[in-house]
Amino acid sequence: MTATVVEASPCRAGAIAQAYELARRSTVNMWRQPQAWAPGLFFPLMLTAVYAAQFAKAIHQPGFPPVDSYLDFVLPASVLQAVAFGATGGAAELAKDIENGFFDRLVTSPVSRVSILVGRIAGSAIFAGFQAGLIMVLLIAFGVTIKGGVASAAVIMITAVLLALGIGGLGLVLALRSGSQEIVQSTFPVLFVLLFVSGTFWPTSLMKGWYGNVARHNPITWIIEPLRELVIEGWSWGSAGRALGITFGLAVFTTSLAFATMRARLRRL
Amino acid sequence: MSNAPIEARGLVRSFGDVKAVEGVDLTVAEGEVFGFLGPNGAGKSTTVRMLVTLLRPTAGTARVAGFDVVRDAHQVRRAIGVALQDAAIDPLMTGNELVRLQAVLHGIPRRVAEARGAELLERVGLTGAADRRVGTYSGGMRRRLDLALALVHEPKVLFLDEPTTGLDPTSRVSLWEEVRRLNTELGTTVFLTTQYLEEADELAHRIAIIDGGRIVREGIPAELKASVGAPTLKVDVALASVDAARSVLAQFGAERPARAGRIAIGLPEGAAQMPAVVRALDDAGVRVSHLELDSPSLDDVFADATGRRLEGADE
Amino acid sequence: MTESPLTTGQRVSSIAHDFGVFRALTARGMMRMRRIPALIIPAIMMPMFFVIAFSGSFSALANVEGFPTPRVINWMVPYAILQGASFAGMGAAGGTATDIEGGFFDRLLLAPCRRPILMVGPLGYSALRSLIPTTLVLLLSLALGADLPGGALGLLCLYVAAVGVALLFGTLGLAFVYKFRSLKSLSIVQIFIFGFMFLSIGQVPLALQSGWLQHAARLNPMTNILRLSRQGFLGHVTWHGTWPGLVAIAGLVLGFGAVAYRNLRRIVP
Repeated sequence: MTATVVEASPCRAGAIAQAYELARRSTVNMWRQPQAWAPGLFFPLMLTAVYAAQFAKAIHQPGFPPVDSYLDFVLPASVLQAVAFGATGGAAELAKDIENGFFDRLVTSPVSRVSILVGRIAGSAIFAGFQAGLIMVLLIAFGVTIKGGVASAAVIMITAVLLALGIGGLGLVLALRSGSQEIVQSTFPVLFVLLFVSGTFWPTSLMKGWYGNVARHNPITWIIEPLRELVIEGWSWGSAGRALGITFGLAVFTTSLAFATMRARLRRL
Repeated sequence: MSNAPIEARGLVRSFGDVKAVEGVDLTVAEGEVFGFLGPNGAGKSTTVRMLVTLLRPTAGTARVAGFDVVRDAHQVRRAIGVALQDAAIDPLMTGNELVRLQAVLHGIPRRVAEARGAELLERVGLTGAADRRVGTYSGGMRRRLDLALALVHEPKVLFLDEPTTGLDPTSRVSLWEEVRRLNTELGTTVFLTTQYLEEADELAHRIAIIDGGRIVREGIPAELKASVGAPTLKVDVALASVDAARSVLAQFGAERPARAGRIAIGLPEGAAQMPAVVRALDDAGVRVSHLELDSPSLDDVFADATGRRLEGADE
Repeated sequence: MTESPLTTGQRVSSIAHDFGVFRALTARGMMRMRRIPALIIPAIMMPMFFVIAFSGSFSALANVEGFPTPRVINWMVPYAILQGASFAGMGAAGGTATDIEGGFFDRLLLAPCRRPILMVGPLGYSALRSLIPTTLVLLLSLALGADLPGGALGLLCLYVAAVGVALLFGTLGLAFVYKFRSLKSLSIVQIFIFGFMFLSIGQVPLALQSGWLQHAARLNPMTNILRLSRQGFLGHVTWHGTWPGLVAIAGLVLGFGAVAYRNLRRIVP
């Protein structure tokens, strides 16, 4: 019944309500399928634990930032890694909707098209914020101090959300273009490589040769390094601005691209 | 112990709490085509899998080609050929590669295998497709290849598990002909499971009907059908002469249910009584528009045994 | 009843038969791999990336006191190779799972050969194909500046360890596949591989590790296998560096093999 009303007078409030409803649906769906999100928490945490133990002595060398433990150093990396694991989940769901025909039903219904996309990635973004919070709480329990305090923690959380939107938006583009879950999921190795060839697990200043050059020019490094400064050095507007600015730009760019792709797809229909 | 090629006593198989086969006894004589008939899920495949050493029985014993299927599984495997449901064939391999692999699996020397493989592919009409990947074959071609593979080592006993399920009528008939030829020319004993009445009727010398994991009827198809009772005579007449016709037909046999405008009776002696029936109707001035005599089918036998019609049975 | 000529005389001897089946099963695996290269490509790409990423990211490990070689790549090559070999080794289980799901495995079970051959055949395929990533990663590493002071003996140790790892994860995979009869069950084996590899001396020597990880790595048999594979890259091959690895391989292969065989015989007489 409500759907008919919205169709008769397509207003902004209706679109927001629909986006909220679809976002709620995708979040609840995700919550109900632990096998979909549990590995995204488990593997980054396990990697963090192993790396902290194996690099316990290696951090005491010239050029390594002054930290009490590798955990301080790796905190932002653990967060971003977990985000990268889960960020394409919403896009994969959209590809599944396209594969099984639910998407066509949705676009022929009076649901606003914007809310279909927003609904899909909002779930991933909210989950990214939750992951960031949980990982920070866990690492603080294991002795990490975030020197920049609550403000820095908030910046890390918002960066995680924006990065999830940025990666999720890219996933949506792929989902809308290919309509295949497999293609969306095949982005994972690419993310993995990007994450690894960067300053995620080790300072780029200590990497030699061409590898160090590549890592220093990797956008992931540009996000990780300012976040790390917020953790191990303290609050700085400059660092916060850099991390938030880059991820915000990425999020705006990929989500606009996703909307453009959506329009192109609907025109083809 | 007799020398029957297949003999099972009290064969049981359960999966957890579910009893798929609940005490099957059967004996198949040498040179016989034995039809194992039953609906989906009746326990046909589970029984076959136990007989061909692919599944341990939970209880009971079975001997195939004179060997115990558990203790002498190795000898059983040497003596039998098996074509399982859905033709288990690797789509990446070609027909020739599969024949060669099958020969190696059965320990046949290469020299013998080459000639035998070519002959078998020729026999099932796949010589032209032998170098194509099996993934490109039609359903009928896969079944024929599977049959050829089952014959590579010249088995004494051949097991065919639903060999024609999913095939079109033409492919089905050509497979039947091949099975019949194997049986008459080489004397191969054939154990055939099927859910098609027609197939059992067409091919089998003897059949067993399995339902709910138990054998509910066993025997020669004609005798089983005869055991159900007399054939049914159906006579269609004009509405005005229904009463006249009914009184005439009542002299020949008990009335059976039929739709309006039709009278059906059981005719104990079947076709032999037909001339007398026709004469009597004619004498009474009944005008007959349609007349048919239906022998009992295996479906009637199945219905008699289980109280249900077999799925997919022809009406 | 007339005896068939084949059932009476024209069969090969039982040993020749078993060997023929073994060879045919190994060859079939290799044939499938040639026809679907996607079956091997990840097992090649992943260790190649690991060599580059680990030795690039952690090049500064060489500055840490107690790190046994000035060339970090020498340390990382065997680790990456054993990772590749472990994934290549799962080929035996992957192929068998595909056969079970598609019904082809029944055809193999119906062969009148000794049952262990049905296990050993696919393992031959695992061992053989593990040579591919091993050789390619080795060549890449030598091109990137790795060297092998241990010479031919060191090379032999590397190959023995790689094939051994392929066999042991192959048998572990078979144990799962015979039990659960599905390709999906292999994701559990991947977790085992991660566990064995992570909690070892893969990236950092025991002396540099701390706490729980050091204990776990000391108990992990993979640590001995890594030592076996690595000795030629660090210096000369010694008996002391060799036998614990061989014992670990033999013990794990026999242990997993016994479980796998038991699971196989549970279904089939």
